[in-house]
Amino acid sequence: MTITATPGPTPVMDRLISRTVEKRRPLSVHFDLTYRCNERCLHCYLDHDDHGELTTAECVAVMEDLARSGTLFLTFSGGEIFLRQDLCEILAAARRLHFDISLKTNALLVTKERAARLREFGVRRVQISVYSDIPEVHDAITKVPGSLQRTLVAIPLLLEVGLQVKLACPLMQENLLAYRGVMALAEKLGIPYVLDLTITPMMDGSGGPLAHRASVSSLLPVLRDPALHACKPQPSLGVDSAVENSLASLGSAVSSGIESSAYEDLPCSAGHNSCYISPYGDVFPCVQLPQAAGNLRRERFGDIWYHAPQLERLRAIRESHLPICSRCEIRSYCERCPGLALMEGGDLLGAYERACELAEQKARIAGVFDPVSALHKERAAAASQAISGNEIASLAADSSPN
Amino acid sequence: MNAASVLWQKNPALAWREIDETTVIISPSDSVMHELNDTGSFLWKNIDGYKCAADLAALLAEKYEVAPDIALTDTQSLLEEMSSRKLLVPVPAMVGESR
Repeated sequence: MTITATPGPTPVMDRLISRTVEKRRPLSVHFDLTYRCNERCLHCYLDHDDHGELTTAECVAVMEDLARSGTLFLTFSGGEIFLRQDLCEILAAARRLHFDISLKTNALLVTKERAARLREFGVRRVQISVYSDIPEVHDAITKVPGSLQRTLVAIPLLLEVGLQVKLACPLMQENLLAYRGVMALAEKLGIPYVLDLTITPMMDGSGGPLAHRASVSSLLPVLRDPALHACKPQPSLGVDSAVENSLASLGSAVSSGIESSAYEDLPCSAGHNSCYISPYGDVFPCVQLPQAAGNLRRERFGDIWYHAPQLERLRAIRESHLPICSRCEIRSYCERCPGLALMEGGDLLGAYERACELAEQKARIAGVFDPVSALHKERAAAASQAISGNEIASLAADSSPN
Repeated sequence: MNAASVLWQKNPALAWREIDETTVIISPSDSVMHELNDTGSFLWKNIDGYKCAADLAALLAEKYEVAPDIALTDTQSLLEEMSSRKLLVPVPAMVGESR
């Protein structure tokens, strides 16, 4: 026999991830086509001015490079992608290059005709940001009156042409209690949703959006909500054949860390089998890890991906190498992000307060008695040592002869 | 027209990529993911709308040094399976054309 069954019970996606991590293939790329936007969301981390976006031809050349390098999953995002006048040309090129195409949009500019074009271009999934089912709450975050109404009008247009739609709801102070409404809205529409607890600093590192981040204590009702834990990804199907298939999972209620066993001992997929490309051609390991590895106006993608020292250094990092987190007893409850560790804690390998606090709360909710992260243990030990030192010094001073 | 003379083409609706001799195919309409091993990938690469099962089997026999009859049986089996999964579609015959 020359056409053999693919052995093993591992689902297709797991094998694909394992292979691409092992061989360092850029399986999944997030490509922001523009930072311009028709909304001004409170928590947004982008500078919306156009500082010289890649031209249509440059975008196509980048995609040709990605296809040659083995990228299958291509997500176009922004900014608002429909502000690119050449979006159709870019999607047509992506189609010709056989990418699996996903979009992220606020859907304000989606019309019936545009929805139909997306389907023609082979777009599979569209993720739409919805902050609340209450117009006043949503519109106060986007700063565009009527924006929720316009977004909600667009969703059925996309569903009618057969596109998969997913709602994404970043939670912040201004919409913390709105998640139940977003869940209900998704249920009514029959579509999946994701709640995102991550609010990040600006890409230049300044902390503007962090002012809107909900405190960990205010997130407790969300973390404890049993309705969120009831929604789990659908299991994959595997067929033992030369052709195998699987159903992609619908997604989970609360965004979480990577789950494939292929990522074991890796902090995340960034730089291993995924990366981010900015509208200006900068290649980053991830949108949340703003250390440019190179620029596609000066170098080919493959040269950056396989040879950039920034990516090489990142790939060498293992969870077991992390000086503090590797010793943490509640690590399994933590969703530490290397990019946020760098931006918030100043150290790619370090622990940072937000992740530790969230991990402690999640562990507590799961029934762990008095969970303390390694970072907090270390700080407590240092404080205790300092107190002991002071006491000894004080005793020594007391007993010294006058 | 008999089954062996059907010319096959890839379903144009699919997303796919060959990564290290394995081909992964995704159907956007239902998000089903398919995986072809190295021989499946070899056939997939050669399915171009101009070849029938016999043409593909000949290429397979040459590439993998197998007997032509075994190559043809395997090729037809895989083509049928891929067709049933809508990964392949037959090339429409030209008006008045017989194969």
